[in-house]
Amino acid sequence: MNLFLNQLINGLHVGSIYALIALGYTMVYGIVKLINFAHGDILMIGAYTAVVTITSLGFSAPLAMLATVLCCVVFGIVIERVAYKPLRSSPRISSLITAIGVSMLLQNLALLIFGAQSRPFPTLHRIPPIRFQGLQVSFITLLTIAVSLALMAGLTLFVKAGKAGKAMRAVSEDYNTAQLMGINVNTTITLTFAIGCALAGIGSFLYCMAYPAVSPTMGSLPGLKAFISAVLGGIGIIPGAILGGFVMGIAESLTKAYISTQMSDAVVYGILIIVLLVKPTGLLGRASREKV
Amino acid sequence: MKKKTKSVILNLFSLLFFYLLVVALTFSGGMSDYLSNILVTVCITVIMTASLNVTTGLLGQLALGHAGFMAVGAYVSAIFTRTAALDFGLSFPISLLLGGMAAALFGMLIGIPALRLQGDYLAIITLGFGEIIRVIIENLSVTGGAKGLSGITRMVRAFSQDSAVSSVIQFTFVFLITVLIIASIFTLGRSRHGRAIISIRENAIAAEATGIPTTKYKLLAFTIAAFFAGIAGGLFAHQTSIINAKMFGFNKSIEYLVIVVLGGMGSITGSIIASVVLISLPEVLRAFSEYRLVIYSLMLILMMLFRPSGLMGTREFSMLEAWEGMERFFRRLFKQKSSQTRMPFQPRYDVWEGKPVLETFSLGIAFGGLKAAEKIDLRLMDNEIVGLIGPNGAGKTTVFNLLTGVYAPTEGQVVLLGKPINGKMTHQITQDGIARTFQNIRLFKSMTALENIKVAFHSRMHYSPLSGILRNAQCLSEERGIDIRARELLRVFDMEDLAEVRAGSLPYGKQRKLEICRALASNPKVLLLDEPAAGMNPSETVELMQTIKTIRHQFSVAILLIEHDMRLVMGICERIYVLNYGRVIAQGSPEEIRSNPEVIAAYLGTRKAEEEAAVHA
Repeated sequence: MNLFLNQLINGLHVGSIYALIALGYTMVYGIVKLINFAHGDILMIGAYTAVVTITSLGFSAPLAMLATVLCCVVFGIVIERVAYKPLRSSPRISSLITAIGVSMLLQNLALLIFGAQSRPFPTLHRIPPIRFQGLQVSFITLLTIAVSLALMAGLTLFVKAGKAGKAMRAVSEDYNTAQLMGINVNTTITLTFAIGCALAGIGSFLYCMAYPAVSPTMGSLPGLKAFISAVLGGIGIIPGAILGGFVMGIAESLTKAYISTQMSDAVVYGILIIVLLVKPTGLLGRASREKV
Repeated sequence: MKKKTKSVILNLFSLLFFYLLVVALTFSGGMSDYLSNILVTVCITVIMTASLNVTTGLLGQLALGHAGFMAVGAYVSAIFTRTAALDFGLSFPISLLLGGMAAALFGMLIGIPALRLQGDYLAIITLGFGEIIRVIIENLSVTGGAKGLSGITRMVRAFSQDSAVSSVIQFTFVFLITVLIIASIFTLGRSRHGRAIISIRENAIAAEATGIPTTKYKLLAFTIAAFFAGIAGGLFAHQTSIINAKMFGFNKSIEYLVIVVLGGMGSITGSIIASVVLISLPEVLRAFSEYRLVIYSLMLILMMLFRPSGLMGTREFSMLEAWEGMERFFRRLFKQKSSQTRMPFQPRYDVWEGKPVLETFSLGIAFGGLKAAEKIDLRLMDNEIVGLIGPNGAGKTTVFNLLTGVYAPTEGQVVLLGKPINGKMTHQITQDGIARTFQNIRLFKSMTALENIKVAFHSRMHYSPLSGILRNAQCLSEERGIDIRARELLRVFDMEDLAEVRAGSLPYGKQRKLEICRALASNPKVLLLDEPAAGMNPSETVELMQTIKTIRHQFSVAILLIEHDMRLVMGICERIYVLNYGRVIAQGSPEEIRSNPEVIAAYLGTRKAEEEAAVHA
């Protein structure tokens, strides 16, 4: 029972990071119908920013986190403006391939600048794990879950209530009509990328605290899993990404504990395939048909 | 013809010249092992990208797990040559075939569930399957687990004691396989099966409505691509001698996709050129090897920004030439200069004079709680022209969708030529004798007018994919037959001279005509026209009325048409059904309909209707 509970908590920990990254995928998909393959590499950029600012520039942890978020946001906006914006009206496959190209470019630039060797992420705290009736929960786990939940709540409020959030929903519903209603579509899309990348930046910081190795390709796997989480919950739907992230994290950590570590990836993809076959629009998605 | 012969000779000559050059260089020592290894890599890449282009380019579905099929082929082939107690010269070709077949089997197994999805979702699920194949290979003991297999016979040394001879045999073998695969992709692409696959890319709904079993053809394209990828995998395993599952991950699939995209999706020659350039260029520029992948990814982004259709796009002159060259090459190879021409039509219908060809009995459909159509009773006699009118949103197109199986009716029955057709797929209903046009034109835009019509002959032809690849007598005689028929059809509509024009660049009125033409090509007994005069000017409409009258007799079809242009409806329809709120509110001759108070009410509102009724009284 304790093993199960511990694994569940681990799952929540990983899952909340997946959810943070998945939000970026899902928001971008919702608004421009693009699977932003480079989003996982924003995670990597965040991680390098954190390492460089802490070890070379001697930033404190909160300051480094701020720098990380800023750097991710800047990258996100530049990528959107330079690579994706010109392709907004071209076939979706073109922008998808561009996204793959951006992802390759970021990874290889990092390889060129930082080398293939992975760098250790500095330890930032010495707070001992909390023990309770045989359960053991580390400080990082608690911090990650708390920060993620707070961010998700904030984002949901922002999208539901604020003026900018309303504009985002309008653009994702119908790009052209939103324009006719006087919404600045470009600003709205940029804002969406910025928010997605800010979340990825925070996610990246939390991820590195748990898995302290930073390398040029470190973003691929968590990126892919976060993306699957977004699909699982129903891509384009914000609560879906959160749900998908948690389901994914829990499924993964339970497989690692009870089946085998190697098979955990297979289980993750297996879940994806079953969901797509049974309910292709994801757990929370609604089906739409092409009008004949 | 002369031009064709020239292009054949040119192509064959350049292939032969290239081959002899490599052989000569090898024997004179000018070809290092390193160079010949690159040549083999190029060939493998050509096979991988050309086969990926079948799914991504021809079928138009993005697949992100192509390397998974390569992995299956590589492992099956390697395990076979390691365990089979046969001479390598014999076991190697068998192992390639086995690898290809195993990959094709995987392709089919994956394809059956996956192809229910489309677009982004299909891309994601192929990614998932590709990764699962990798993970499974990593966890099996036959495949050597995560360490993979090593000590696989290297083909470069295996064919002969003499290293130069062995190297030449290796190149001959790999080159021949590559040429054969490319040639079969070309010939398949030109057959009715290829047309069916391309028509799905152009417009899946229209393809189904012209009688193409779309699921079957998606699966066929998927399986063929997997088969060739499996063969490439087998070659790869015996090139490197060490394989592990990591080599066939997501990144590998992406690498091949990048090449396909750069070459141009849908252009096989584009894939070939891009493979050659992208594999050999980095080797030449080894000094810059650090920057290789950076340049590579920059190229991809720039290409998408400035030339998104890739190097070749979907069509290019040199591609056409090469294409024709292969065709002639095969025709010569098999010496099948059949002069026979087989016509696609056989009389299929009994005489239905005086009997209804199409009847519906309290047909209806509900979307959730909303009844979009209910209790529809229609009856269409042989050779009759019947109008279906009603205000916007009355459910007219819904009725068409019910008749053609786009929607499955939730109540009632449709009877065509005395047989119920409820629950059949659209393409089956088309084959049974109902053809339709669409309110918003759905042509296969990048195919020519002639090709659009040819797609509709699909179900009237019989040759198999294999005879399409070989272009044997049956294939050629049937193709010749439909070519004649398709041109005849165009002549009826005065569009002969537009046969080779892309459907997408035809003027609007001609596009509407072409759609009717295509519908007639499937030899229907009942023709459904959805707003045929929409967007036409008055003189075009008059012309259209004439055409509709002509085709009724010439093709002996019953016609049911939806139209808002009352002059057309009143001018040519013998009977009219009026629909409102999903129900038939009136039926009768044009005169009866014109004076029916309920119809006037539906169109003009009730008060006005009362006034009108008063006038009539």
